[in-house]
Amino acid sequence: MVTLDALRRPTRRKPGIRPTRGYRAFQVVNAIVLTGVVVVTLYPFINIVARSMSDQASIISGEVNLLPKGFNVTSYEHVMSDSMFWRNYRNTVYYTFVATSVALILTTTYAYVLSKKHLKGRTFLVAVAVFTMFFNGGLIPNYVLVTSLGLKNSVWAIALPNAISVFNLLVMKAFFESLPTDLEEAAAVDGLSTYGILLRIVLPLSKAIVATMVLFYAVSFWNSWFSAFLYMDRQELFPVTVYLRNLIAGSTGAEFAGAIAETDEAQVDATIKSVTIVLTTLPILTVYPFIQRYFVSGIMLGAVKG
Amino acid sequence: MFLRSRRRAVAAAASALALTLGLTACGDDSDPAEELSANRAGAMESYNVGDQFKATEPISFSMLYNNHPNYPLKNDWLFWQELTKRTNVTLEPSAVPLSDYEQKRSVLISAGDAPLIIPKTYHPQENAFVSSGAILPVSDYIDLMPNFKDKIAKWNMAPEINGLRQSDGKFYLLPGLHEKPWQDYSLVVRTDILQELGLQTPKTWDEVYTMLKAMKARYPDLYPFTDRYSQPKPTANLWNILGSSYGAPGGWGFNHATWDAAAGKYFYTAASPQWKAWVEYLNKLVSEKLLDPESFTQTDDQARSKLATGKSFVITGNAQALVNDYRPDLSKNPAAKLVKIPLPVGPAGEVNPAPRTENGVMISSKAKDNKNFVAMMQFIDWLFYSDSGQEFARWGIEGTTFTRDASGKPQLADDVNVIGLHPNAPKHLQKDFGFYNGIFAYGGKPELVQSFFSPEEQEYQAVVGARQPAPWVAPPPAPFTDEEREQATLWETTLRDYVDQQTLRFILGQRPLSEWDAYVNELKSKNMDQYMELQQKAYDRYKKEHG
Amino acid sequence: MSTPKILDPPPTTLAQPPLPPVTRKVRKGRQSWRRAFRRDWQLYSLALLPLVFFVVFRYLPMIGNVIAFRRFRPGGSIFGEYWVGLRYVKMFLSDPTFWDVFTNTLILGGLTLLVCFPLPIVLALLLNEVRTRYLKRFVQSVSYLPHFLSIVIVAGMIMQMLSVDGVVNQLVNALGGEPSAFLQKPEWFRTIYVSSEAWQTVGWGTILYLAALTTIDQDLYEAARIDGANRWRQTWHVTLPGIRPTMMTLLILNIGTFMAVGFEKILLIYNPLTYETADVISTYVYRVGIVSGNLSYAAAIGLFESVIGLVLVLSANFISRRTVGTSLW
Repeated sequence: MVTLDALRRPTRRKPGIRPTRGYRAFQVVNAIVLTGVVVVTLYPFINIVARSMSDQASIISGEVNLLPKGFNVTSYEHVMSDSMFWRNYRNTVYYTFVATSVALILTTTYAYVLSKKHLKGRTFLVAVAVFTMFFNGGLIPNYVLVTSLGLKNSVWAIALPNAISVFNLLVMKAFFESLPTDLEEAAAVDGLSTYGILLRIVLPLSKAIVATMVLFYAVSFWNSWFSAFLYMDRQELFPVTVYLRNLIAGSTGAEFAGAIAETDEAQVDATIKSVTIVLTTLPILTVYPFIQRYFVSGIMLGAVKG
Repeated sequence: MFLRSRRRAVAAAASALALTLGLTACGDDSDPAEELSANRAGAMESYNVGDQFKATEPISFSMLYNNHPNYPLKNDWLFWQELTKRTNVTLEPSAVPLSDYEQKRSVLISAGDAPLIIPKTYHPQENAFVSSGAILPVSDYIDLMPNFKDKIAKWNMAPEINGLRQSDGKFYLLPGLHEKPWQDYSLVVRTDILQELGLQTPKTWDEVYTMLKAMKARYPDLYPFTDRYSQPKPTANLWNILGSSYGAPGGWGFNHATWDAAAGKYFYTAASPQWKAWVEYLNKLVSEKLLDPESFTQTDDQARSKLATGKSFVITGNAQALVNDYRPDLSKNPAAKLVKIPLPVGPAGEVNPAPRTENGVMISSKAKDNKNFVAMMQFIDWLFYSDSGQEFARWGIEGTTFTRDASGKPQLADDVNVIGLHPNAPKHLQKDFGFYNGIFAYGGKPELVQSFFSPEEQEYQAVVGARQPAPWVAPPPAPFTDEEREQATLWETTLRDYVDQQTLRFILGQRPLSEWDAYVNELKSKNMDQYMELQQKAYDRYKKEHG
Repeated sequence: MSTPKILDPPPTTLAQPPLPPVTRKVRKGRQSWRRAFRRDWQLYSLALLPLVFFVVFRYLPMIGNVIAFRRFRPGGSIFGEYWVGLRYVKMFLSDPTFWDVFTNTLILGGLTLLVCFPLPIVLALLLNEVRTRYLKRFVQSVSYLPHFLSIVIVAGMIMQMLSVDGVVNQLVNALGGEPSAFLQKPEWFRTIYVSSEAWQTVGWGTILYLAALTTIDQDLYEAARIDGANRWRQTWHVTLPGIRPTMMTLLILNIGTFMAVGFEKILLIYNPLTYETADVISTYVYRVGIVSGNLSYAAAIGLFESVIGLVLVLSANFISRRTVGTSLW
């Protein structure tokens, strides 16, 4: 998504004056606090990875903690040999890519428009968006709409109804507003059209927020399951999250008057669940460190200066 | 006690008889079925019990499909091919993940987008869809279904069927039919511990108490009994099987109103002395530290882990849970022996609390305008209700997935596995062939239902199956009207929440049982009496209007 | 960004060429729409596609809310069968359980806001002080992890950790306390919910602040240093004001949506013993409305929630505009 010319090395922070004693003490405390954060957050995750490589009996007897017990990767082989898993996986990648692109275009353009304080009717345009944060149409009207537009069983059923998240929109608008206006004004004097300004001046200045939006949208589409569950009729079209949800939530929540049908009782192995979780979470974890560099870069600063 | 339950059974039989008469009287009049001349395409001219259904031309029907994670739908299953070969019908499944099946079904029906055949529906889930007319009143068309009618008559199932009727006197669900009630869930006990303590297998809940006491005496540091099935309602299975033994089922079997056949009226289950009695029993178990208080909130995995590590010796479960979960969990301890004991008997006597109907099929009312409508009803009748259809759905194809022994009983083929019968076989009956699928294979004659059972399960069923059906499992119809139901569901939610909450507090000793009367009064302030009035009104009205 | 094609102006807009951009200086006072269009038609054209999106996918389905005042039968008309007036509104207003869950929602949402709003700011500031780039990146990466876990898994972990022989009770034991079944105690539910929510969201929440931090002009720090400000004062006088617009925007949005507390998670970790503190509007509506197909009732409560959310966000925005000058619009 983000243009390649942005891969310049981020400018380093200027070396400060000599840190005081108090500040050094703070650094130590800070390191300890952050280590604490890391430990607390990491524990459940390592636990899942460990479970995915353990045998079922050890998991059930509660022996698996930070290290796998009864180490084996047969569950990985099992899940990875399921062609439906890969098919759904491919769907997820495709849906995420299309939906994120659509969302990014619509959100950026609208946020840019809303950030122009002088624009007549701007308050109304913001209100149109904000109102939808609180009022929505409910499940069935939405379903009828998507069905009658003929979007069912296509990627558009996922991409279009969720194309703008108002939350993201307002965050992006706030960012655009905080940009210095002198560059834009200068470009306008040079005769650049609004579209040109947006593409050539504003967006290069906004890599941090665009990267953030890519991440936000991509993660939310990657993890979403409900639209796909609702609008896809064939399992070849499901994203992997629906596959995962069925594995994890399939056996919980059953409450019927009388007996549960005999064939539906068996539970899915805890190992299989863990493997699927690890495999679905992995890619987004490997992708985002690459996006992350834009958050810490000082590209913006350099642009304004020179 | 004995006399009372005898009298109750007689009364139940009498009312069942009356209802059978009512069934014939109200007629399931065949008028609508006769106007079907435009919908006979593909239908068989003459189709009767014992006939193999085969459409006269290739036809197909859309169907909602509950996709089970253990045997995900495959389009190349032998089941589909053979089904088409035998019946000329192609099913077009619309796959819905099992985890959220009910939600999608509700959206599809509400949006008018539902497939023609909607399986896996548990009564009373169909009630919500009745008033809008989205679901076909199947009772109008059962003349097209000879096998269904035959089974109901032969197995005397009219009372059960009557229980499905709505306020218009019709029923909207084609339920699964069992000739004999089949109580699968019971207590699973470590018999090696019993042996160690020199105890017999307990036959009553009192003996269960004695057994737990003995276990506690030997192993004072642990809770001998821990339980599962607590998501989303606390120990939904234990409350059901224990409550049933006392005549007031809770949990999975909970109904706000229970039919008292002797008195000829409904009573509020969770305010009854029977309910109080089993709550006292559980309270005793908890206060003497025999039953793990975490049972009521923990996850299934947590409960299994306690059993697996020898932190407890007793749990509830069914045959599948025993074979698939508990035994493999305990495989590290070769001395451990687990047995599902026959459901312990309580004050309600030797009753079998399982109902004889189970989940079934709804049909979209759009089907009636389909030119293949008659063929569709015949097809459903064959697949779900004929002996050959039921055998096909469960066992598959002779020579491929099963063989017959000398007496004609089906035997699983050697290279096919299902519920651990042939653990090393290369193929799986459900995963690779699509048979024994929860959507198509349920109910039937006991020989068929039990045909996969191991000898130990058959032994268990012999004991429990010999018991009398519980008198409350086939209550007389008392259907609400649309408006009544709307009000009733609101009251039901509040009442149910309060019942669950307070029952649990009584059991855990957070509230003394001396406050029972106060609790009943609190239920009254939550509209219990109004609810029961509504129920009684519905019962009287139905009796007046439909005999 | 690619695909500039979409941004082409639609042919129907005014044929007049745009006025020279010099006149762009905002002129307060009455401007006719015609002049606004002539000057900013390119901007308006950019708003066109998003507006179509809002109208089709947001406003059109909203008509369905009419079932809050009409009797809806599952499978019947999606706009309901007949008018019932305020019947469903009266129904929930006179329902004592509704007010209990309403109070619970306010408390739980308020606590979540109180804890989960400031924590990401603190963490972002701490991260900002880390000098080692790799350490910083590592901590960031790790702190995002919980965001990716499914609620079902998180709920399972919570139950595991809080069980009587779980990690938490082992700690309590070690400190000489009495182990207890936390999940069965209504007085513990809020703590459990809020801390698990914090665990899940804090790391992810830092992203926006870190992005905002990159926009702060380094020269300001320089100037502050020359004035003799220490790190603490730099943070207070430069960093915090620098991210204030982001903070305020998020605060307003959080206030507006704080009634929508995590439905799925509560559904998975509550139980009848903790209903007293754990049951919120969404779980109650789920039990009474969705499970039994009573969608009219659910819609009425949904509308009520929406109105409250709107009022909250309007007031928060008003206060923010008056006090610090940040506004959503």
